[in-house]
Amino acid sequence: MYSSSNTEKRNYPANRSEKRPDHTLIPPCQAACPLHMDIREYVDLVAQGRVMEALQSIRSGNPFPSICAYVCTRPCEEACRRSQVDKPVAIRALKRFAVEFGGDRMVQAEAETMYPDKVAIVGSGPAGLACAYYLRLLGYPVTIFEAHTEVGGMLRVGIPQYRLPREVLDTEVRRLNQIGVEIRTNTRVVSLDLLFELNYKAIFITIGAHQSLRMGIDGEDSPGVIDGATFLREVNLGLKPSLGDSVAVVGGGNVAIDAARTAARLGVKRVYILYRRSRKEMPADPTEVEQALEEGIKIRYLITPASIVRKDGQLYLTCVKMKLGKPDTGGRRQPIPIRDSETVKKVASLIIATGQAPQTPRDFGVRIGRGSTIQVDPITLTTNRSGVFAGGDAVTGPATVTEALAAGRMAANRIDDYLQHRYPMPTKQERETLTSELRPETVEMIRKIGRIEPQVLPAETRTKDFKPIELGYGWEEAINEARRCLRCGMGAEILFQDKCATCLTCLRVCPYHVPYLDDSGAVKIPPDQCQACGICVAECPAKAIVLRNPREIRHITEELDHVYKSAAETKSKPFIVGFCCQYGLFGTGTLSSLWRGAKAGVWIVPVLCIAKVETEHLLRAFEMGAEGVFIAGCGEQCARENTTLQVTQRVEKVQKVLTAIGIEPERLKIFVPGTGDIDTAEELNEVFEQISGFYLESLIKQEAKD
Amino acid sequence: MIVAEQKPLEEIMRMIAPYENVLILGCGTCMTVCNAGGEREVSFLHNALRLAQAKSEDMTHSFTESTLKRQCDPEFLEQLPERTNDVDAVLSLGCGIGVQAVAERLTDLPVLPGVNTSFMGMTKETGIWDERCAACGECRLDDTAGICPITRCTKGILNGPCAGTKNGKCEANKEMDCAWVLIYKRLERLQQLEKIRRYYPLRNFRTIPRPKRITSNTGIEAGTSDG
Repeated sequence: MYSSSNTEKRNYPANRSEKRPDHTLIPPCQAACPLHMDIREYVDLVAQGRVMEALQSIRSGNPFPSICAYVCTRPCEEACRRSQVDKPVAIRALKRFAVEFGGDRMVQAEAETMYPDKVAIVGSGPAGLACAYYLRLLGYPVTIFEAHTEVGGMLRVGIPQYRLPREVLDTEVRRLNQIGVEIRTNTRVVSLDLLFELNYKAIFITIGAHQSLRMGIDGEDSPGVIDGATFLREVNLGLKPSLGDSVAVVGGGNVAIDAARTAARLGVKRVYILYRRSRKEMPADPTEVEQALEEGIKIRYLITPASIVRKDGQLYLTCVKMKLGKPDTGGRRQPIPIRDSETVKKVASLIIATGQAPQTPRDFGVRIGRGSTIQVDPITLTTNRSGVFAGGDAVTGPATVTEALAAGRMAANRIDDYLQHRYPMPTKQERETLTSELRPETVEMIRKIGRIEPQVLPAETRTKDFKPIELGYGWEEAINEARRCLRCGMGAEILFQDKCATCLTCLRVCPYHVPYLDDSGAVKIPPDQCQACGICVAECPAKAIVLRNPREIRHITEELDHVYKSAAETKSKPFIVGFCCQYGLFGTGTLSSLWRGAKAGVWIVPVLCIAKVETEHLLRAFEMGAEGVFIAGCGEQCARENTTLQVTQRVEKVQKVLTAIGIEPERLKIFVPGTGDIDTAEELNEVFEQISGFYLESLIKQEAKD
Repeated sequence: MIVAEQKPLEEIMRMIAPYENVLILGCGTCMTVCNAGGEREVSFLHNALRLAQAKSEDMTHSFTESTLKRQCDPEFLEQLPERTNDVDAVLSLGCGIGVQAVAERLTDLPVLPGVNTSFMGMTKETGIWDERCAACGECRLDDTAGICPITRCTKGILNGPCAGTKNGKCEANKEMDCAWVLIYKRLERLQQLEKIRRYYPLRNFRTIPRPKRITSNTGIEAGTSDG
């Protein structure tokens, strides 16, 4: 029967591409992520229901994925090309699903001390924690110094609990303790020299940007006026500042929104946000703004307080109306006060959230630049003092958590370079980044599938306390959302140009009209447009096309070998091989039990779309001794309208050969769940019975012969 | 392009029956384009033959596969001898020309045809090809408005249409357009209807001695020209 020596002789493209480098392009989401996470990979793994592996992928690119899963500002979703078709993939919600479903809380980290050089980290914000995590994994003894009583920096004192539950942060801190990071709270570092004297070989300053900027108006120091950062810090550390029955928040950034929503949760009846530009210019996350409005917070645009007077325990704000002028250097239109437009507004308290800056002790002796930020070399992250590095908000000014994590990771690598006396080598970008937009004719052929927004608690309930307001996905929601990913940059390429006969098959079979003839008459498959369906790969008569993702090329052949070995081990006879779409019923849906061996003698080869099943795979399954072979697509959930057309043609071609060989063609079946009236499970059972019938018949014939 | 179709599997199995080690040899040009003998067909056939063996439990044959860019050029055939060291026969999926070229190169090996070479034609749509040229050696397409009566008229007549045309279709096949009606319509469109009045005498088949040879160089031998 099936002999392995034959396979070695076979000229599968799989074998030829063993040493092939990754030709995939970096997708826009990954390029936009400050941590450069392989989003495409983990979203795809979620789509396949391989949540544990998705978590592994996430963890390899992110020190604290569960924190990001709550608070990331999602630059990836902004860059997502799915928005050219309908709406971007809900990447953050999928990450949260993966970390929660995959059990990130249970993941244990391990680290071993490899070097004697101690590193001190000043500040325990996201940048500091990330730097500590990576330095520890590299093998350095690390100490974090935190001025506050609790670890986390802005994660603890800045971000409200309804956005980041503190258990999540505590889990990550516990994990740092577990790998042996020393954390000293209530320890304000006043002098770096002292740290060097304590034998620390390198110092990473990551003290954040906690100092609120002043507006510079009359009455700013009146009682009842508080700055945003201080207000949030007090609430987050368990105090309950009394605000009265009405509060105005000045500013349009995330801190302003956080402060307003926090005030609402403290029971303040009327909360206003005063912003001097219009909604379009607001730097705050639009979703957060939307949610604030739902919670009954009023936003007044194009207005700013010009002076504050306190009388009888109330604040009287003289406000000036604004109009928008020319864009400034940052591209935002500048607000210009309108003359004689003053109005007076009465509120009980005022929160000023117009920006923050770092406050670096002068004794640190590091050079300070624009906006009180610490000046560093952008590549080495070194300050003017040798052995002293800086990163996070202290260097960039207020930025996002993810950016801080990225800065922390980079700092860890640069500190490692410094301590090992290596020339700092920024990681080289080897693969090309995909930037272009999808062509309209391609967009038209992509099936529109609506984005599944993660559920949010209703506004009335959520303003009562500080419980997290966004709910996670369930299994089905997550799978369906993940399937929306277009897998940008993973598409097909003509790897063997010399073999290409320019037969134009790819051009004709592509459902997305992607391949084209260039001016010289050569076929081109633009990688930025290809949707990686794999149809041309399976149809190319010269076998010149392969998928860019090296894992996917080997996939089916390897899985088939695996099935053959498993079937041989269990000696189950007869056996049936099913090539089943991993995205559909068999992979993640109701029939996935088959995959886990629920039916004796049925072996499933999971495929990422049945369009990738080639005629040779089908013949090979029979050659291995399968009594029957079936292909099952994902049906209505498929990303394309007409995937089965080509596959049905392949099935017919193989059936013809089977007949010639004397094998009943009915032993090969194709199913498309959801298209017939019959239940797929039932239909499948019928086929199984029919095949067992054939098998018995052949046994009887065999005995009669003997 | 030359169009062919793969022989039925039964016939191929009968042909290779006497030989133990068979090399399945594909062709990367016309046979790839017409889905008859490119690398995919080679490996499909390889799989099918192995499956047939497994089914019949007669494991006497072993197969190897290889595909050349073009079987009809001697340079591409140069690597063949080393690939056929342990081979008892070559099953060529090239057209009739390829089979002969391979046979010429491999003097001591039987070379078997794996496809039926059918015609010279063009793609109608994916997987469908139509005959367009009979290689008669006397092209008259200028007179027939670019439509060849020899291949597209069932009878191949040079002075058409015959009396069998009806509503623009051929009497031999009601689905098929009458080539001469097509020619008439196109000449009309090109305002060259006078050409339909032209009378062609009977074709003289004696003017086509076989095998033909075309020499495109001018006959100057190497070393005889100046410089």
